[in-house]
Amino acid sequence: MAAVRTSGERTTNRLAIVLVLIITMIFLAPIYWIASTAFKPRNLATTIPPTIVFTPEISPFVKLFTKRSQLRAPPTQEEYEAAPWWERLVFDGGEKVVRSGRGEVQLSGYPSRFMNSLIVAITSTVLAVGMGTFTAYGFSRFKVKGEQDLLFFILSTRMLPPVVVAIPMFLMYRAVGLNDTHWGLIILYTAFNLSFAVWLMKGFIDEIPKEYEEAALVDGYTRMQAFFKIVLPEAATGIAATAVFCFITAWNEYAFALIMTNRRAQTAPPFIPSQVGSGLPDWTVIASGTLLFLLPVAIFTFLLRNHLLRGMSFGAIRK
Amino acid sequence: MAQIDIQNVQKFFGQLQVLKNLNLTIADGEFVVMLGQSGGGKTTALRAIAGLESVTSGKILINGTEVQDRKAADRDIAFVFQSFSLYPHMNVRENISFPLRAVRMNATERDKAVNEVAEILQIAEHLNRKPSALSGGDMQRVAIARALVRRPQALLMDEPLGVLDAKLREQMRAEIKRLHIARGSTSVYVTHDQIEAMSLADRIVILHDGVLQQVGAPDEVYLHPTNLFVAKFVGSPVMNVNGARIEGNSVTLTGADASFGFPDDALARVRGTQADLALGARPEAVLLEHQPTEGYLEVETTNIEPLGSHDIVDVRLGHTVLRARTASGFVQGQGQKVWARLDPAQTHFFDTATGLNLRGAN
Repeated sequence: MAAVRTSGERTTNRLAIVLVLIITMIFLAPIYWIASTAFKPRNLATTIPPTIVFTPEISPFVKLFTKRSQLRAPPTQEEYEAAPWWERLVFDGGEKVVRSGRGEVQLSGYPSRFMNSLIVAITSTVLAVGMGTFTAYGFSRFKVKGEQDLLFFILSTRMLPPVVVAIPMFLMYRAVGLNDTHWGLIILYTAFNLSFAVWLMKGFIDEIPKEYEEAALVDGYTRMQAFFKIVLPEAATGIAATAVFCFITAWNEYAFALIMTNRRAQTAPPFIPSQVGSGLPDWTVIASGTLLFLLPVAIFTFLLRNHLLRGMSFGAIRK
Repeated sequence: MAQIDIQNVQKFFGQLQVLKNLNLTIADGEFVVMLGQSGGGKTTALRAIAGLESVTSGKILINGTEVQDRKAADRDIAFVFQSFSLYPHMNVRENISFPLRAVRMNATERDKAVNEVAEILQIAEHLNRKPSALSGGDMQRVAIARALVRRPQALLMDEPLGVLDAKLREQMRAEIKRLHIARGSTSVYVTHDQIEAMSLADRIVILHDGVLQQVGAPDEVYLHPTNLFVAKFVGSPVMNVNGARIEGNSVTLTGADASFGFPDDALARVRGTQADLALGARPEAVLLEHQPTEGYLEVETTNIEPLGSHDIVDVRLGHTVLRARTASGFVQGQGQKVWARLDPAQTHFFDTATGLNLRGAN
């Protein structure tokens, strides 16, 4: 049924839209800043006032992925013409790509840091959501002695600012050899996300009527089968939401990654700003690294958007 | 098909006892309805038979085998929930075949069984739809189909019509009865609706506060309630129950200013009892006449409920009110003088302290 609108309401409506657009622009401004800087020539990156109109370049991304050094002298005509297109872009910036003795292009630290981020964030998300779902199911469906206390205890692990425990954690990690390892960060992020996953999933599982499982139990299934065949599909929305939050937390975590890792297992967040200090800061490279770093979360959230937006579908249960 | 025996079953939820020494035998092919108020223990009893609830003590036997310690999956019974409990992420065919997939029946046989049961329940055209796209009645048909497809030992139903509207409920009631007659499966049905119980049951089991009150055929329960609870719970409108005093052959109701004469044999069983008595008479046991008649007392009509096939007339006798069932249009309006009598053959005397019917089961 379409509601009748007066002209006054229409004006208010338009004002609201304008307001929403302004707020959206404010929130998108930093993203625009990073995205535009990532495609700028180096000399335009730090101009005051900022350059808005420019010819986009791909060179920051080439620089992001390659190890480079300063050119003492400009390349010879031969060298320049022998180089592939992307290497010429580096030459244009007054640098050259570092090659190994056999002439292989040396990669920068970024790709391996990016892979580390993926490994750590995905593994810890799977672990946290998986264990969290089982734990939440247990709390939701069975009588657990001291349930309220246990749930509070689980939540209380999040009440401390994590950085407070950074130094003892570092000492312990060093003692058991977990510092600068993938598993070290995975365990840390899993532990950190688990309490959150338990609480969030408990809410979602509580919403699933237990008659569904009871029906499956009478129909000849074990509780485990009922869990996988009935509860998990019904909890998909909750699992998606929890996974997105856990992934974002693990993906973006900076402080522990900075303290616990330095090379082998270092993730992208501590690596990207560390590039500011090596040689002359090249803001276009930092921006391109940051832009690429934003993509996985954006893609992950985009893929799960239907689950995140869809309400729980309880069409077939009558209360 | 199976016989179900419940022997000395007790069930506690913490301190609260919800089943008190329950004993019941449900014969093979019988349709038993458990009737009672909410919190009476009927659903707990049903869930205990299904294995969804453990019993604190006592035995449950299906076909002579003790099952009280077995998992629900191993009891070979089917359960229909009040909420239907259709899996929203599966379509109707997947829902119905779900129990068959548990026993890994092959796909051809499975499809055959699903099609057959869908045919019986007239939901064949919905097989590829999601449950959320169905009407309430069809959801319930799917739930029953899912229960029947496996040909279980017994079919347990927990208020399966509770959420449907009145008209659909009546229709589904008839369908369930037809299905029971056709398949002859042992069925246990829980409801708080006494009309549903009367119309479906071979035998009605009335539970109150976890105690079995009476087991009997619908007419037996209606005509010969063993106690006040059953008397008041079964029958609509509710039985008239009034305190009563007996002097000689006259019975005076509390608050009434005159007494009814009763024949000797009607009072024989209550003679000599010291208990405080309550008299119970269903509306059809309150007889009305337009003219002064021998043995009738003068009363005044206070309210009339015309129900089409008959009327329910409230009549005032002193300070007490009796509800009478009359032919429709028998009394024209309020404030009329009519003459009333109680039919001794349909009158019950209860001990108000114990609630027991003192006339026994005659």
